[in-house]
Amino acid sequence: MAAIRLHNLRKSYKTGFWMREFEAVKGISLEVPQGEAFGFVGPNGAGKTSTIKVLAGLQDATSGEAFISGISCSDHRSRQHLGFLPERPYFYTHLTATEVLGLYGSLFGMTGRMLKDRTAQLLKRVEMTRFADVPLGKYSKGMLQRIGLCQTLLHDPEVILLDEPMSGLDPVGRAMVRDIILEEKHAGRTVFFCSHVLSDVESICERVAILVGGTIRLEGKISDLVSTQEKRMICTFKLQSEKTLDILSIQSGEVVEKSDLWEVVLPEIEFGAFLRNNVDHISIVDLRMQRKNLEALLVDAIAEDKRQTTEMGVLA
Amino acid sequence: MMVVWTLALNTFREAVRDRVLHSMVFFAVITVCASLVLKDITLGDQDKIVRSIAEGGIDLFASLIGMFLGISIIWKELEKKTIYTILSKPMPRWQFILGKYVGLNLTIWAEIALLSVMYVVLMLFQQDVPSPIFFVSMGLLVVELMLLTAWTTLFSTYSAPTTASAFTISIFIMGHLADDLWLLGSKSDSVFLEQVVHFIYWVVPNFELLSIRDLSVHEREIPWVQVWSAAGYGIVYSVVVLLLAVLLFNRKDIR
Repeated sequence: MAAIRLHNLRKSYKTGFWMREFEAVKGISLEVPQGEAFGFVGPNGAGKTSTIKVLAGLQDATSGEAFISGISCSDHRSRQHLGFLPERPYFYTHLTATEVLGLYGSLFGMTGRMLKDRTAQLLKRVEMTRFADVPLGKYSKGMLQRIGLCQTLLHDPEVILLDEPMSGLDPVGRAMVRDIILEEKHAGRTVFFCSHVLSDVESICERVAILVGGTIRLEGKISDLVSTQEKRMICTFKLQSEKTLDILSIQSGEVVEKSDLWEVVLPEIEFGAFLRNNVDHISIVDLRMQRKNLEALLVDAIAEDKRQTTEMGVLA
Repeated sequence: MMVVWTLALNTFREAVRDRVLHSMVFFAVITVCASLVLKDITLGDQDKIVRSIAEGGIDLFASLIGMFLGISIIWKELEKKTIYTILSKPMPRWQFILGKYVGLNLTIWAEIALLSVMYVVLMLFQQDVPSPIFFVSMGLLVVELMLLTAWTTLFSTYSAPTTASAFTISIFIMGHLADDLWLLGSKSDSVFLEQVVHFIYWVVPNFELLSIRDLSVHEREIPWVQVWSAAGYGIVYSVVVLLLAVLLFNRKDIR
């Protein structure tokens, strides 16, 4: 059984004075197996937060289905297995960290010694023990994020839903949160990780879905997605004396000047021909292979979405 | 029920730490105490003056506090986004509404209890003993505010405090003038106006049914039949309004 399952999920909102319908999520389907760390990335307005809110039970799907551990997200019992950290979590500012975790623990049916011990353990884990009795109104954004992570993990959930968990954290805090997420992943928890910081996604997740304009543009193992992309060679060279650029034979790519040197970016398969044809005219200074990373994939997906939207506009 | 109780206690704790509430309770205390001073500058039955001002003060400030806290009870959670981490826990939404409602009423009951104790002390200071009807009157005030806060909870699920306060004040005024509204409709020459006014009469709560303050001020016999029927009316009406609030909130997208 999948830990998270979305089947043709759609989410629309009525906006503006005339209540026009805006479709934020356009029929997405995906499955996240138990124990996997899954990245959910996309630009602003891609439909990530809408999907997460359906999973967390904050919104109902317009159509389609969403399940957590096999239980429909419209059923409140699905949240018994779910730990949810919203983007920039907000808490009752009059409560202290201990009180707020006590409140959340009670909502999960945790009481007494078990709740007290778990609260103390988590506060220690996020290095917040010495602020345990300070009202949350006095906390910084990063400190609130840490408390947010504590409330997410409080009941030892099977599925952890994280919406921008690194937001507002300093580099030390980011490293700590990343370590905690990795620990949870290694302990067999399913992590659904939504972030703009793609390097974090690459370091934590095995699989990823790139969401653009409410639809999934790419989905799969990060290593597979990246390896299937075209590799490119970046060659920095010097022209032999008295030679000009006109003498070079280049099938594709553009040569740009860099200080006293020249640089050309070519598809890997064309590099051999470039070398053979120009070996008498250039001396190579530096040679690098460029592999597309997640960021490049996301940029391509956004560009593809824009192109399709424009084409559809023209057809209409 | 543990979830409801947890949310109620948290709502109560949040409310009693609110400085605006402290100020309102302070003014309520001043009003109750002022009845002692005012009786010296009035003619007639001075004890009745003390009872009238003090009980009127308790009524007024309890209603104001109920309205002040109630109009933002759900909206504040939505606006401050504290609701994200609450509703993502394993509980149905009706428990959230009920928890907030019970917490709101706990705060009002605490305020009424505090002012009632002050009133009793004041009476004893006057070498008088409060009549039993005073406590029954306070009991009905509690029911009246349960009804009023059920409405504020309903308004707060889908509107901002400014709109909710306009609705609440309208309900409060119409509810206290319900009998006059009926009379006005009956005396109207227009059948349409009569039907509209009578419709409003049946829809808005009749808060006057829940008030026996005049009888309490005059220390009359307790009208038990009226008390029980009014309490039943208030409780059933509150449950219906709360059910409506739950129905609306169940369909709400938390954005």
